[in-house]
Amino acid sequence: MLKKNLVCIVCPNGCDVEVLLEEGQKTEILAIDGCTCDKGKEWVAQELTRPMRTIASGIPVEDGDFKLVSVRTDAPIPLGKIFEVMAVIKEKRVTAPVAIGDILIPSPAGTDCNIIATRNVAFTG
Amino acid sequence: MQTIERDLVIIGGGPAGLAAAVSARKNGLDDILLIERDRILGGILNQCIHDGFGLHTFKQALTGPEYAQRFIDEFNRLGIDALLDTIVLSLDSNRTLTVSSKKGFIRIMARAVILAMGCRERTAGAISLPGTRPSGVYTAGAAQNFVNLQNIMIGKHVVILGSGDIGLIMARRMTLEGVKVEAVFELLPTPSGLARNVRQCLDDYGIPLFLSTSVFELHGKDRLTGVTVARVDDRFQMIPETRRLVPCDTLLLSVGLIPENELSLSAGVRLEPATSGASVDDRFMTNVPGVFSCGNVLHVHDLVDHVSEEAGLVGRCAVRYLKGEPAPEEAFIPVVPKADIRYVLPQTISGKEDVTISLRVTRPMRNAAVLVTDRDRKVARKKLVRLHPAEMIRIKVKAKDIETAEKLEVSVQC
Amino acid sequence: MENHYDVVVIGAGVVGNAIARELSKYAVSVAVLEKELDVAMGTSSRNSGVIHSGIHYKPGTLRARLNVQGNALMAGLCQDLKVKIDYIGKLTVAQDEEEVKSLYTLKDQGEANGVPGLEILDPGAMEKIQPRVGGIKALHSPSTGIICPYSLTIALAENARANGCRFYLGHEVTSIQKTGDRFDIRAGNKSFSAKILINSAGLYSDHVARMLGIDEYRIYPCRGEYLILDKRLKGTLNVLVYPAPHHGKAGLGIHLTNTVSGNILIGPSNEYQEDPEDYACTADIMAQLRREGHVLLPELKTTDFIRSFSGLRAKQTPPEIGGFKDFVIESREDVKGLINLIGIESPGLTSSPAIALMVRDMVTSLLPLTPKKEFNGARSGMTGHFYELSDEEKADLVAQDPDYGEVVCRCEQITKKEVLDAIQNPLGARTINGIKYRSRAMMGRCQGGFCLPRIVQILEKEFGYRPEDYYLKNLHSPLFSGNMRPDKTRV
Repeated sequence: MLKKNLVCIVCPNGCDVEVLLEEGQKTEILAIDGCTCDKGKEWVAQELTRPMRTIASGIPVEDGDFKLVSVRTDAPIPLGKIFEVMAVIKEKRVTAPVAIGDILIPSPAGTDCNIIATRNVAFTG
Repeated sequence: MQTIERDLVIIGGGPAGLAAAVSARKNGLDDILLIERDRILGGILNQCIHDGFGLHTFKQALTGPEYAQRFIDEFNRLGIDALLDTIVLSLDSNRTLTVSSKKGFIRIMARAVILAMGCRERTAGAISLPGTRPSGVYTAGAAQNFVNLQNIMIGKHVVILGSGDIGLIMARRMTLEGVKVEAVFELLPTPSGLARNVRQCLDDYGIPLFLSTSVFELHGKDRLTGVTVARVDDRFQMIPETRRLVPCDTLLLSVGLIPENELSLSAGVRLEPATSGASVDDRFMTNVPGVFSCGNVLHVHDLVDHVSEEAGLVGRCAVRYLKGEPAPEEAFIPVVPKADIRYVLPQTISGKEDVTISLRVTRPMRNAAVLVTDRDRKVARKKLVRLHPAEMIRIKVKAKDIETAEKLEVSVQC
Repeated sequence: MENHYDVVVIGAGVVGNAIARELSKYAVSVAVLEKELDVAMGTSSRNSGVIHSGIHYKPGTLRARLNVQGNALMAGLCQDLKVKIDYIGKLTVAQDEEEVKSLYTLKDQGEANGVPGLEILDPGAMEKIQPRVGGIKALHSPSTGIICPYSLTIALAENARANGCRFYLGHEVTSIQKTGDRFDIRAGNKSFSAKILINSAGLYSDHVARMLGIDEYRIYPCRGEYLILDKRLKGTLNVLVYPAPHHGKAGLGIHLTNTVSGNILIGPSNEYQEDPEDYACTADIMAQLRREGHVLLPELKTTDFIRSFSGLRAKQTPPEIGGFKDFVIESREDVKGLINLIGIESPGLTSSPAIALMVRDMVTSLLPLTPKKEFNGARSGMTGHFYELSDEEKADLVAQDPDYGEVVCRCEQITKKEVLDAIQNPLGARTINGIKYRSRAMMGRCQGGFCLPRIVQILEKEFGYRPEDYYLKNLHSPLFSGNMRPDKTRV
């Protein structure tokens, strides 16, 4: 039996969580203490097996009223995949106009997420 | 010089100003003018491209620009007037403003004013950082502007002083861009930013956070070449034998935010030392009649959701004032911070309405309760698992419990 | 030879520029060589900005004479150059009878030097000039003034430039040869030649003299640190207040100085350094200045400290001796054509117009000077800043030029027009500090946090700057490492 302490990142409350678990072929959670919501409990289970994160970045825009369109993942990606996804984002260039929610890169690096725009960028020519 | 008259002028088009404007319109006020010095609305949210905004308001983890856009869309849908690229240069106690833009320098006489100017960052000068004055020293927010809005990278090898949220967010942001972030140093024994940001911005990327440690000297005559860091004792004095040189070409400062109250002061608004913001009643009115304050210019928030909520309330209060609702009587009930409480807000209340008291504690605590009392009578109590100076706490007080109150005292009960 | 001048001045500080501007009244070719990328980068931008009355110097010395003469010349000069100067006066305050005696000594000395209007005041009269000043008697010197030292230095250079003087910024002098009756100078990988060489290299004046075999001078840089206070405290100080000289007294003689822009300075400290460019601020001195600040200004809050800086005095006396030596201003007999200015520390700023006249006379005896008809001593533009104008004047200016309507620096309320003027300065200085010194943008309480990103945008949009083109002060101080995402053809 193993005791692990985590800080939940689901919301700004940042609950301190203490987990009792059995590490074998498959991690088995025996008890979770400190979570104040169900989402947090789900997150803890996920975090112990396959940690997932969201990321945000920017992509250069041509002919727009902003130089960069800010972007984010529309679903969490595996923590270990972040730099692979960033490498794809870094290569990308787009042209205005761009609207919030536009999918700019579908499933980067084979992940189950899209890179979507988080800012409207108007065409300025 | 042109002079115009308006019912409500809102200074600042960030999250506070936008929410106040939307709320004022929804509460039936026609004549509203919002003044924003940038070319776009949204304020600092425009450069906060990370997610985590809106969990309370929209039950979604939005980025700053997305969160701002929801309010901007609403603002535009309601057809509220805004002057962009326009700066307020002065405000007096009669609510007369001078306002400047490329279109002209004009005077505006307002029946009510909402102060929503936000805050600014503390600088190297403000913390009297010794050493040389090289290039490569930036506040985290300025760095965020360059990186996220201007496609400019500020350095290659970064040290961050202060564990405020913007600094933590920038540590991750720059790491993702391939910049080496050496470490974050924090003078206090606990992080200043949210725990989740320490986890997902530092721990995830192996960036060390050194607590009770600070930067004591800048090196490099031209570009920064390094910083001297050292641990501090419990009186924040440097422990000389722990001094060490950390080579870097960039130092980001995330050492606190200061409400931007210069206009407020020029109007005669009285400020609270503990918040560096205005002293307000439970309608968020300052000592200057018709002048209201909300958002980070009133007190620095940690969550934009709380800013929007507070500003929405202030928009409504301003409309009530303009509609000539009788002002609450002179005899306000003071709200006073006691044991372990750094500040409370509002500082005075009428006792006639429900009120939410916002507060911050002085030190981290666990399993304690925030207690509001009137002459030793319990008025409200809120039990919390974790209390942290970085996290604003809010506690509701019911009108029926404070009708006869003389003075409310807020304290932590361990 | 291409860069052939009658006169070459080394060093574009206030003294070098005052000399260059004075010589630009005459039909001679003048060049100023400066190692930094802008003028006023040394002592001239790093001092208290006080125009002294001249009470402190022994009668008969150059310092006494040039100070009093310079003080009198400064008003007209500033009017011509559109530089703000304010003769606010100074109280030298005595706390006991012993110190009162020293006030009378100062008064006698000042009068012997020709300082006008000196008066010993009793507490009633003192209180009228500066409430809560304390002390039992004070010497009032009404001719003491304040000025922005780098504004004056820049204005002198711009006016000299407008009258035909050439400025070579970023041209460090690396060697000087006397060949026949000319000097051959290497600076910034260029060759210059001059009939007359004026060494006004300040902290490096001994070094320049040594290039010509003159070994008798040595400059001991002595650092003074300052803290700058928020404009919030403007108005707490009507005049300059100094303690009376008192030999037994410990401490650094730290005092408050108001600036023409409305800030207050605390300082300066007094510490010898080896390195003539060590402008660091130190933890110990900063802490001491903060402590003394709280004593001198009870309303001071910790948030009122907005920046610190330090400057170096070009002292001729080593630390073990201390004190002062008189200015050396000499036309050398052994190296004919060389005019040396050595050890021009305080009151160098005040004396600069008088030094310029003295040097002009030395030049005249080497090379006859004919006045130039086309000389125009008046500088164009506005005295002071947009924020100092009345509302009506502001409205008129914005109507004339919309760039006055856009405020770039919110703390100091500096407009885009002022920033553009600073960028397009006649000397072609293009560092961020150059923009700061000329416009005052980035000098307020947020120290550029808000306006630096905007100034960067203006430089990019209107002057085509790329991220690697921005420098703080010299070519070794880049602001940025490049684009976050480099340009590339779009996908």
